[in-house]
Order: sequence, then C-alpha cells, then structure tokens
Amino acid sequence: MSARENILQRIRAQSGRQGETNDAERAAAREHIAKHARSPLPSIAQGDPVTGFIAECARVKTSVEQVASLQAVPQAAARYLSENALQMHAVGWSALASLDWQGAGIDFEDRLANKDDLVGITDCFCAIGETGTLLLLSSPTTPKLHALLPETHICVVSRARIVTCMEDAFGLLRKERGELPRATFFVSGPSRTADIEQTIVIGAHGPYRVHVLLVP
Amino acid sequence: MKVGLFVTCLVDLVRPNIGFAALKLLEDAGCTVVFPESQTCCGQPGYNSGAREISKVLARKVLSEFRHCDYVVAPSGSCSGQMKVHTVEDLFKGEPDEAEFVALAAKWYELSDFLVNVLKIELLPSTHSSVTYHDSCSGLRELNIKAQPRILLSAAGATINEMVDCEKCCGFGGTFSIKLGDISTRMAENKCVNIAASEAKVLVGGDLGCLLNIEGRLRRNGDNITKVYHFAEVIAGMAH
Amino acid sequence: MQVKSMHFKATSSMKLNDAVLQSAMKKAKGKFVDGRAAAVAEIEVWEDIRAHAAALRDRVIANLDAYLLEFEANATKRGAVVHWAESATEANDIIVKIARDNAVKLATKSKSMVSEEISLNDALEAAGVEVVETDLGEYILQLAKEPPSHIVAPAVHKSKEQVAELFVNAHHKPRLTDIPAMTLEAREVLRNKFLSADMGISGANFIIAETGTTLTVTNEGNADMVTTIPRVHVVVTGIEKVIPTLEDFATLIRLLPRSAIGQTISNYLTLTTGVKGQGDLDGPEQMHIVLIDAGRTKLVGRDMKEMLRCIRCGACMNHCPVYQNVGGHAYGWVYPGPMGSVLTPTYVGIENAGDLPNAATFCGECQVVCPVKIPLPDLMRKWRERQFEQKLRPWGERFAIGLWSAFATRPTLYAFSTKVAARVSAWWAGDKRRITWLPGLDGWTDGRDMPAPTGKTFRELYAARRSGGGRLS
Repeated sequence: MSARENILQRIRAQSGRQGETNDAERAAAREHIAKHARSPLPSIAQGDPVTGFIAECARVKTSVEQVASLQAVPQAAARYLSENALQMHAVGWSALASLDWQGAGIDFEDRLANKDDLVGITDCFCAIGETGTLLLLSSPTTPKLHALLPETHICVVSRARIVTCMEDAFGLLRKERGELPRATFFVSGPSRTADIEQTIVIGAHGPYRVHVLLVP
Repeated sequence: MKVGLFVTCLVDLVRPNIGFAALKLLEDAGCTVVFPESQTCCGQPGYNSGAREISKVLARKVLSEFRHCDYVVAPSGSCSGQMKVHTVEDLFKGEPDEAEFVALAAKWYELSDFLVNVLKIELLPSTHSSVTYHDSCSGLRELNIKAQPRILLSAAGATINEMVDCEKCCGFGGTFSIKLGDISTRMAENKCVNIAASEAKVLVGGDLGCLLNIEGRLRRNGDNITKVYHFAEVIAGMAH
Repeated sequence: MQVKSMHFKATSSMKLNDAVLQSAMKKAKGKFVDGRAAAVAEIEVWEDIRAHAAALRDRVIANLDAYLLEFEANATKRGAVVHWAESATEANDIIVKIARDNAVKLATKSKSMVSEEISLNDALEAAGVEVVETDLGEYILQLAKEPPSHIVAPAVHKSKEQVAELFVNAHHKPRLTDIPAMTLEAREVLRNKFLSADMGISGANFIIAETGTTLTVTNEGNADMVTTIPRVHVVVTGIEKVIPTLEDFATLIRLLPRSAIGQTISNYLTLTTGVKGQGDLDGPEQMHIVLIDAGRTKLVGRDMKEMLRCIRCGACMNHCPVYQNVGGHAYGWVYPGPMGSVLTPTYVGIENAGDLPNAATFCGECQVVCPVKIPLPDLMRKWRERQFEQKLRPWGERFAIGLWSAFATRPTLYAFSTKVAARVSAWWAGDKRRITWLPGLDGWTDGRDMPAPTGKTFRELYAARRSGGGRLS
C-alpha cells in the first residue's frame, strides 16, 4: 500500500470508520464547503470601509494620498517620488500604461520587474477596510514581482473597490473571477522583521514603502 | 445553614490558623459549621501526577464526607478547582456518580467567593495594613476568583498595592515545586521582586501552597520583614 | 531533528543561569504578552471568534480524510503534484528526488517547523543541494548551526551582539552594531540567493480544501520570493493544516497574528494555487505539495485530538512562566512550551520526552490565550497519566505517590502521621520556624526555606477546642 492509502486508512481507523472514504462523506465535505460559513465579525470589520481602510493603512505604515481622478495618478506619483527623493523611473502593470506618465516626468516601463527596479506601480483587485490590506491577483498582465522586488510599491486603489472584510474580498473574487489565480497576494504595509531582539525594522526582503493613491 | 469546612491538607498540617480564621468568619456570619474529621486530601496531587484512579478514590471520599452539607467551603482555589471543575469536567464525566459530583460542585465554594457572593458579609475594619495580593492560578483561571478577596480585604480596612504580574504563577504548582525546583525557585524569585517593588510589607493570597512557596523564597533571601498571610487570617483579625 | 527532551531538567537549570538568554527572554515577554493583550482587547467578539475557530478545526479533524482528498483533487486540478509521506524519511526522500530530477543546486527556504521536524536541510545538503534559510531569524540560526527556540520568533534567544558576530564570520564585512544595518546586510546577501535559486521550499500555515491552495503568512516577504521566483516550488506541511474554505482562513487570520505578536494582520498573506499559468510572467513551473503524517494520525479520534487544532501562533509559550524563564532550547525538540510538551511525546514517543509533560505548573495561562481553545494543561495531564501507567517516572516519585495514597485514604493513619509530622518538622525547624533542608525535598529546599508547621494539626486543635465546649473561635 502507498503512503497515501496508509495515511488515509489510519485516519479512518482512528476515527472508527470502515473502508475507504465514501461518496457520501466526500459530498458532505463539499456541502459544508459550499456554505462558506463566516465567523462573527468584529465591529472594526463592519464600519465604512473607506474610512477604515485609511485608518488601518496608517497602522500598518502604508501611506495614503487621495487623488481626484485616475488621470491625476501620474502627477501624484511623481510628487510622491520626488518628495521622497526617489528615482523617477518605474516598472508597472499594463493596465496603467496608458496614463500620461511621461507628462508627469516618470519613465514608466510595462514589463516584468527585475532586481534593478526601484519603483513598482500596480493597481489591485480590491482593498480591505478592516486591516488596510491590498489584494493583488497574479495574471499575465499583473505579475506579483512588481509588488515585491522594488524598494517602493505604489498601488492605485479605487474607493469603489474597498470592501469591509476579507470574507467580502473572497466573495467578490468568486463572483468576478470564479477561481483563485496562481498567486492571491494580500499586502498590508511594507515588508518588516523583528527577528533581532524583537526590534521592528522596515524593509526585510520586500518593499520599504507602500504608497496608496486613492482614486474615486 | 449547614456549611462543611474542607480545611485542606496543607492548612491542617502547616497553618491551622487559616482554618480557624475561616471557621470564625463562617460562624460569625451565622453558619453552622461542621468539620468532618475523616477528611484528608481532595486528590489533586495525585491527579496532577497522573495517578488518576487514586485521585478518584479520594474525590469519592470527599463526596461521602460532605454529602450531607448545604454548602462546602474551602480556603483554597486550588482544591476548590479540583472539586468544582476537574471532577465534573473530567474525572467523573459519564460515570454513574457524575450527578452526585455535579451536585457537590454546585454547593462547593472557595472561601472568598462564598463570603462575598453567598453570605454577602459585611466586615468591620480590623486592619490598616497596606498589602499586595497574589492571585493563585487555579482560583483565578478555573473559578474566576479575582475581585472577591480584594472586596473583603478592602472592607477589612486594608489598602491594596497591586504588584506587577500579580496574576503570574509563583512557581508552586504542587509537585512541580519539588520535581523542577530550580525553575520553581526562579518563578518564586520573580514574584519576590514584584512584591518588593509594590512596597507593601504584607503579602496576601488565597492558597497556602503558593504562600509557602513565596514565603520560603523571601526567607531564604533573608527577608524576615515581609509578612505572608492568607486573606482569611487578615479579614478575621487573626493575622499574627 | 535529534531529540534531547530527556535532558530538560539539566538543560533548563543551565538556561536559568545564561545571562544573554535571560535578558533576551525578558525583552521578548513584554512585547509578546502586552502586544497580544492590546490587540485582543480591540476585538469585542474575540471569544465568539475563538469558539467558531475551535469548532471549524474540530470539524476538519473529525473528517480529515474527506477534506484532504478534497484538497488533493483541487490542487491537482491546478497542476500541483500532491505527495504523501508517512515519516520524516519518506518526506525527505520525496523532496531530495524532486531536487535531483530538476538538477537543483540552490534552494531557498522560508520558515517551516515541519521541515525542522524532519531535518530536511540535512537531507538536501547530503544530496549536494545548498539550502538557504531566508526568514531572518532562521538565517541567523542557520549561521549559528542552532535549532529555533520559538516557533514564530526562532532567534528570540539571540542578542544583537551574537548576531553581529555571526554576520562578521559569514559575510566577511565590518562588524555592525545596529539592528537596521544588520537587517540590510542580510537583505543584500539573501536577495542574490532569492534570484538565483532553482527551488523554493516553503511551509504552509494552512492548506485550503475548497481551492487546493497552500498559504504562507509572513512579515518579511521571504515566502513570497521563495514561492514566486524559483522554477520549482515545494510545500512541506502536516496533514492537519487543512481547512475547508477561504472564509475559514479569514476567521483564523483574525486570530493568528494577534495571538502571535499582537499584530492586527501580518504584512504578507500569500495564497498559492497551482503552477504558473499560460502567459504568466512569474511563478514556478512545478509545484509539489508534500503532506506529512509523522505521528499526526496518532492524535486523530483519540483523547488528545484537540491538539490538532493548533495553528502555531506561539501564544502558549509566550505566556508560559516556564518557557519565559528557560527559553525554547531546554525543551529539546522542535516545539517548545506547552504545545511542545503535548506534541513532543506524541511525535517522538513518551519514553523520549522525559520531563516535558511535567514542565508546567498548570497555571492555565496557555489555555486562556490559545486562539483555538486547546485545553493544554488537560492534555499535558493525560501524558502524565500515561507516564504513571507505564511506570516511566522515577522510582522515588512513584513511591511517594503510593505512600501519599496509602495515608490519604486511611483517615486514622493520616491523622496520626500528620500529628507526628507536625511535631517532628516543628522540632526540626527550631526557633526560626523554618526548615532549610529536608531529605528528599531538596528540590524545594535548594532554593527556598520551608515555613514550618506550628506543631499541632488543625484536626487536633479543633478536637481539643470542641471538647472544651462552645463555639470554636
């Protein structure tokens, strides 16, 4: 017998069940899954998601700037980069490539991020008010590395796409995408570590800065 | 009201004064107190050493000794936890005498809980000490004994200087204090440091095991000044 | 990992006198304990969420086979290969073979306690694969050639001076004194490793049956590098980590970082489902998921099954007064603290676990803070019962219990012997009214005096007063 059969067999024997896992048992598990049962939600996951998102971003050290329109994003990004003395050169997701980056003075490249890129610009599938979290989904046009390798991650978030809690984000994902992409990536603030003497240091392996440009 | 006093094996052997303080408090409040003289131990040391069957024998013995009482009161959160929680939730769960243990658990009280919540006694100030209180683990976490002894101490006129980590274990843990004496001693030492920092000269608690452990460390450290009392002794005016 | 749990008593005594460790443990205690308390206080329905989480874990464990099969089917659908391993050796063989088949020279690894259980790094290195730990704490310990001493903060026992020393030796650069600079130096070294690794190895905080997803929770982002950049991704995890749905993950993630370090949310939650898709620019070409038993099935359906609920937050050890004073290495295997004192005997055998089930005062803090309500003291007590039944405790201890039982069940004998004991010990104590040494009880008297009995038992005094008539006070 294979390890698989042995393990499954042992589980069943210990649980006092005979034979192999039967169809009824499999169906019962699937039925339970289909209910997508939720636990009670804390009040922080129930208020206005946009207000919550802004407050929680501050807690996880994601900076947030409200921007009048999507078209104004390049100017706002340029201002952020120059105020922080960062390079005016970015690698970004395709969906954002058509904005007027050049007009804002940013050299925007639509390609996969590599180790030399210092600024990555993405949007997100949605964001979560409860925890100040960005949800990024991987796809051919939305690779994960943009939000991981560069030292600065700028993320465009639409106010209309901020949900209250993670459960609602999963609900939206099921409704709009049907299934999970290869990488479902929740980002809450810049990379950090506290592994030396429990002292928090920002920028362990991923970005040092996460900046949200909040558009209508 | 007939109240059975379960005095605990440690009080019987080491500090009878605590037993008499409990007796005085109960009798002053009008209870008819009985002390079944065949009582020995609640069985907890065996239970926590893995000797389950022996602990059941002793729990049944306690049951037979106190069956006839309206209430049973013990000046210990630890023994009370054994009789109120562990007999019902573990030792006799699903056994023929489960119902009897459920009934015993319902009428069994830790002393401060009984004085505050059943007798609702009013004390006259009998002391003006500044004390610090150590919350013993079983009473605190199994029986929710937290406010009761403080209410009684305040009523008796004591001021409570809370120490840091008053809810942290003192390291007694029954046989743990002997089996892993070095760790137990360090935990007692941490407690002594916190007691000193509270600047109270009197340590009060509700379980003699913890009190012996802490006092033992205080004395070994050369501290012969800090007094160590059970709350019953303090509020009965018998702390001497 | 080699088991050293039988030396707990001796090792812990040594750790109590290790100044660096003691200072590190004091610093950690404040952060973990106060941080958790503040984070939990914000959630007014904490107890309801805990109850929901415990129930959802129980449901999976009670139907573990069905949920594992569901997970396997869904992961396979997305191009992952699911492997099953009954033992550490089987798991290592599977992973070494994957490495060989893919001509892997360098593997980056994000923190996995399961991989510590099976000593995966040793197996891969023996097969000629360079393995680099990328969680900063694990990286430090890899340099120090030490096992983790905590399941969430593996290098909690190390001081920054010790880390600086390790970095000087490994990186051949000037000695650093401040923590951000050390972190930056490690970032630079590890960045190159991330980019050149052929294989990424990660653990999984949970695996989700509904979607065939494995997931990691980190603050550093190292798991993201490990699961995204190399062409082969290997997930090594225990069979008990399965949860039914994405919603269940949402529930558990409200509990996990708050319980672990008082964070509302960890920085990176990464759900990985299958391999690089058509047209994807990043992601691995192969994904292998190794589901490990190695003792877990022994808990299923039995009296310690609640232990399988564990979500590895570390709150039990953070709050344990024993752990706080001796640190994790004293426990002698992968999992320290209360959860370790239950798991170690299960996984390596009670005969090898020595004092672990006894390394607790049963103060109950662990049970109070456990986000999935595992009755840890009760489970440790069950191990003590096994030790007692199998006569695994020292002769003296068993004799003492036998003696105590013989006296405590015989009231007349008990009354007489305590009467004698009260007198003898009062005499032994002398004028100072305390005993400084007591044969057989030196575990106590080595560090503490024993306040002496006053000379007569309560029982005697009570009888005397009653025969005197009237009220007793």
